[in-house]
Amino acid sequence: MANTYWKSLEARDRHPGRVPDNEAEHVQDADREPSRRDFLRLAGFSAAAIGTSCSRAPVKHAVPLVVQPEGFVPGATASYATTCQGCAAGCGLLVTSRDGRPTKVEGLPEHPLSAGGTCALAQASLAGLYDNRRFRRPSIEGRDATWAEADAQLTGRFDAIRKAGGAVRVLTPTVHSPTLRQEIEGFLATFADGVHVEYDALSASAALDAHLVTHGLRALPRYRFDRADVVAGLDADFLGTWVAPVEYASAYARRRAVGSGHAPMWHAQVESRVTITGGKADRRIAVAPDEIPALVFDLLAAIEGRGTAGGDVAMLAERLLAARGRALVIAGSQDLDTQIRCNRINAALGAYGATLDLDRPSYQRRGDDRAVRRLLDEAAAGQVAALVVWRANPFFDLPDASALARVPLLVSLAERPDETTAAAHAICPDHHPFESWGDSGPVAGLLGTCQPLVRPLGETRGVIETLAAWRGRPAAAHDLVRERWRAGVWPRQQEGTDFERFWSGSVQRGFITLDAASAPAPASSAPSRVPSAPARESAAALPAPSVERPRPEPGALTLVLYNKTSMPGGEHAWNPLLQELPDPVSKVVWDNYAAVSPAIAARQGLATGDLVRVETEGGALTLPVLVQPGQHERTVAVALGYGGLVTERFRDLGRHWFRSRPTVGEQGRVGVNAAPLLRWREGRLEREVAGVRLVRANGRRELACTQEYHSLAVPAHLVPAGTPPRPIVQEISRDALMRPDGAAHGPSHEMADLWPEDHPATGHRWGMAIDLDACTGCGACVVACQVENNVPVVGLDEVRRNREMHWLRIDRYYTEDDDGLHMAHQPMLCQHCGHAPCETVCPTLATVHSAEGLNQQVYNRCVGTRYCANNCPFKARRFNWFAYPHGEGTETLGLNPGVTVRTRGVMEKCTMCVHRIQEGKIAAKSAGTRVGDGDIRTACQQSCPTRAITFGDLNDPSSAVARLSHDRRGYVLLEELNVQPSVTYLKIVRQGAPTSGETGAAEGSGHHG
Amino acid sequence: MTGRLVTILLVTAIALTGSLLVARARSVHLPGNHQGYEPVQPIAYSHRLHAGDLQVPCLYCHSNAERGRYAGVPPASVCMNCHRFVTAPLGAILAEDEAAAREKRPRRAIVSAELRKLYDALALDVALRPDPARTPQPIAWTRVHNLPDFVYFDHRPHVAAGVTCQTCHGPVETMERVRQVGDLSMGWCVNCHRDAARDGIGGRAVQPSIDCSTCHY
Repeated sequence: MANTYWKSLEARDRHPGRVPDNEAEHVQDADREPSRRDFLRLAGFSAAAIGTSCSRAPVKHAVPLVVQPEGFVPGATASYATTCQGCAAGCGLLVTSRDGRPTKVEGLPEHPLSAGGTCALAQASLAGLYDNRRFRRPSIEGRDATWAEADAQLTGRFDAIRKAGGAVRVLTPTVHSPTLRQEIEGFLATFADGVHVEYDALSASAALDAHLVTHGLRALPRYRFDRADVVAGLDADFLGTWVAPVEYASAYARRRAVGSGHAPMWHAQVESRVTITGGKADRRIAVAPDEIPALVFDLLAAIEGRGTAGGDVAMLAERLLAARGRALVIAGSQDLDTQIRCNRINAALGAYGATLDLDRPSYQRRGDDRAVRRLLDEAAAGQVAALVVWRANPFFDLPDASALARVPLLVSLAERPDETTAAAHAICPDHHPFESWGDSGPVAGLLGTCQPLVRPLGETRGVIETLAAWRGRPAAAHDLVRERWRAGVWPRQQEGTDFERFWSGSVQRGFITLDAASAPAPASSAPSRVPSAPARESAAALPAPSVERPRPEPGALTLVLYNKTSMPGGEHAWNPLLQELPDPVSKVVWDNYAAVSPAIAARQGLATGDLVRVETEGGALTLPVLVQPGQHERTVAVALGYGGLVTERFRDLGRHWFRSRPTVGEQGRVGVNAAPLLRWREGRLEREVAGVRLVRANGRRELACTQEYHSLAVPAHLVPAGTPPRPIVQEISRDALMRPDGAAHGPSHEMADLWPEDHPATGHRWGMAIDLDACTGCGACVVACQVENNVPVVGLDEVRRNREMHWLRIDRYYTEDDDGLHMAHQPMLCQHCGHAPCETVCPTLATVHSAEGLNQQVYNRCVGTRYCANNCPFKARRFNWFAYPHGEGTETLGLNPGVTVRTRGVMEKCTMCVHRIQEGKIAAKSAGTRVGDGDIRTACQQSCPTRAITFGDLNDPSSAVARLSHDRRGYVLLEELNVQPSVTYLKIVRQGAPTSGETGAAEGSGHHG
Repeated sequence: MTGRLVTILLVTAIALTGSLLVARARSVHLPGNHQGYEPVQPIAYSHRLHAGDLQVPCLYCHSNAERGRYAGVPPASVCMNCHRFVTAPLGAILAEDEAAAREKRPRRAIVSAELRKLYDALALDVALRPDPARTPQPIAWTRVHNLPDFVYFDHRPHVAAGVTCQTCHGPVETMERVRQVGDLSMGWCVNCHRDAARDGIGGRAVQPSIDCSTCHY
């Protein structure tokens, strides 16, 4: 029996198995009746608007270039390879540039780590380039300065420190760029006491230290999900936030794919809060955060054959041992003992050298919490003479960072104002990554290049150049990177003898791979007087591992501080695209909240939106509650990265409509900063705080959640007699799928048809297939669609009124069975129905069918009756209730000139990237060829790390989409309505108990990602 | 009597107004239709001379029409392919040659007033050498053919299908100053797409689409 899926606890309890069928498309609040005054105000405004609306057609100019560079075609797009710097994962990007300005970020298909996928963060990174509120020039003590003045002043200060022998610290997140490391080390080498301190807001410090203890190397191994048959994730959200989610999700999906030729991966996730990783797992085990150390202890004992574990631990151990050499255990804990035990488990399972690659380690996390703690102590003791901060915001996301304010010279290289620049004495703003040259080395044996895509928009300067200037060797970043490659990379490659060709080839490709044996760690790649902080450490300095079993405290509530997948940290909180991207689990936007389990909510009488005080020894926060199904009872989860200074920019975002609510909270910021509740323990930042209390506070804050509406259902009276309605999310067991006679489809319905077959698509017929088994719900496609199609950000109040504009949303469903809670993520977009209900009700023919099977929306015909949206069974249409803002100043430069910017009163929806279809067809026609399968890729398809979305021509029998639409897993939504959607969904595959044939299958060790 | 006079006056006025309206009716357009638009350009460039008399192919200057969405106005550097050598009308140069021979003096460089604007844009001095004191400034031509923002037109498929430039732009090779000939309305586009689907272009069958999303997205 297939599982029943539900979207919310209310839906499950009130309407078991189905959703109300009288749900309106656009909900109007009952208390939102306009007053007489409102009416007069609007009437007056309308009259004024009519009076001023008519004017002459403006004279337009065509301004050609004076000299047009060869190969440059005005209005045409070109793509340039570069490396993403949104986090330290080092994914490859292809940035689309038009007329000299980048407008879209895509994945680099050939990249060995990301394999063409991106995350939402990368998709949203262009907003940072065109951000109006970036620093435009350096400033000293709050006064604008030129670079010459800033350099003169700061070099003077640094010279004085050199003479006095003062300590200088450079604080950055993980840096794996060889050139930047060289410059940082070179700058610090000019001081008697210079140390580079790396810290990550989402630190993996304990995992790094554990490898120092067990393997003598402070690095993370490369996690090879593409070689793993059994994966156990222990509170490590590796598909969402942990280290390199795009790389992991891509390999994970490939390994789990049906028909990939090897045994299916079995994945168990042990976690306290609910993550998309847990939602994808075959078996999800909810435990309290403080039970995980004990569980790892027991698991190690069971794997090493001592101890008498039972229950889940025994099951896990048995599964892992059965897949010795093909098993992988990942712990996200910040407890050193737990991480050491995890390493021992992996060693006992033979994972090192198989699913864990330490010969080619990862440098995607290098941060050392103990070095940060030491920096804070030194600063508090007045021992630090100067601190240079780049891309870090310690005043926001470190507890007790106030000690840093005592540093006599604090220099920030930030791109935009934040808490640290507010305290800084000098601000020397860095370029956006798309304005500067650079490189990256995320894993051993792989080097990426970063190239500028646009001339710097302000008078900023790249960090490499700034540090080079301060060490007395000013040079252009391009030259520094090139020289670094000539000296450090060129001798190690085997591609040829011409450096120029090697260099330009590397830049063009975006990365090069080197023989791992010749690949030293970036830290040691250049001989340097100044070893970086981690290298100074030896395992001896770490506390000896404990041999006692950790004891959970039964009954105590534990606070888990985490980073959201949709808004991964405070350094991205300025980005409206990420703030309005629904969290993949809760679907809440523009807020953080205290997620509690339904049991606690019931016990304390709390409902979603009620304010509570989360009280810890280190302080208290007042937050709205979110009741989260599946969360462990003893867990309260609060997202970090909210409540920062950068979110004050959203004060005026959204419509100032009557009784509207501002996007920011009462403090004028989005959400509440939970970082002060982080705790230092043994020199590591502990993200779990035991012994918290939940106290009900007065008032409510209604959360803007995009999931409680847009429900899909067949109205009861339309369900064909005698058959139950088909579920929206369908699943199939692997056994049923493998059976040759396995009926993928249930009994067919008697289909009533209201429409004649009068529009045969004889040429192309565009369609899509979406693999629900591959989709992790990460949200990259949502942002990709938004950026590609100029979809506006509307703000909290509009989302609360169900008016978010995303053309592509991801519906999240829960289900529960013996294996715990599962989640299904269903990307939902216009289904381009063959018999589209929207088309028949449009009075102005603004939505009509194309000869190629697309459901077209013609903006300039639309008068905004909204009949189509009311008649859309998929609730895929979006209405422009206002002329939503598209940014101002430089921000409008980021719009896609290939897609109309819609105005107020117009309906819009997914076009299946018809502008890309047109471009593909025109390119083929100009070249005298036919459009091939895969030539045209939609924005959502391109961005997907797991390749869950396939687009193509259904009339081409050899196309991937035509094959998938006839796949045994394929089904269409609301089949009873017979609207003939062009989008086929592929069922989720559920693994039952392992059969001997599956886990016993030999695995080719030569499989590479 | 006065009543009669008023009647006569009124009838005359109505007749006069009517005849004026009829005379002007041809130039009255619906909003957005700029048929007949013939703006003065910053340089009095003559298509009649270049495309007509000298028979320079359209795609020599508007080469982007084959490669990009926009046919585009050529960059000033393209003009210099010829105007590096041709600095004034032939007559003026011959006259100067004659005058120099007659007056037994070295001939002076003759630069026409219109071409002087081109050289100024490129920051060239009298001898057509780059003038380091000035920076080149692009020429801001006035666009004649303007489509509304909700239409996406691409030159490439039309050029590839063999549609001549004159089909849409009219006999540009006869125009001293470029004038908008077609009304650039949707009906005008769609009629041509329908005709081409029926008759083909130059004897070749083509499949021009009349889907909305061919141009509107």
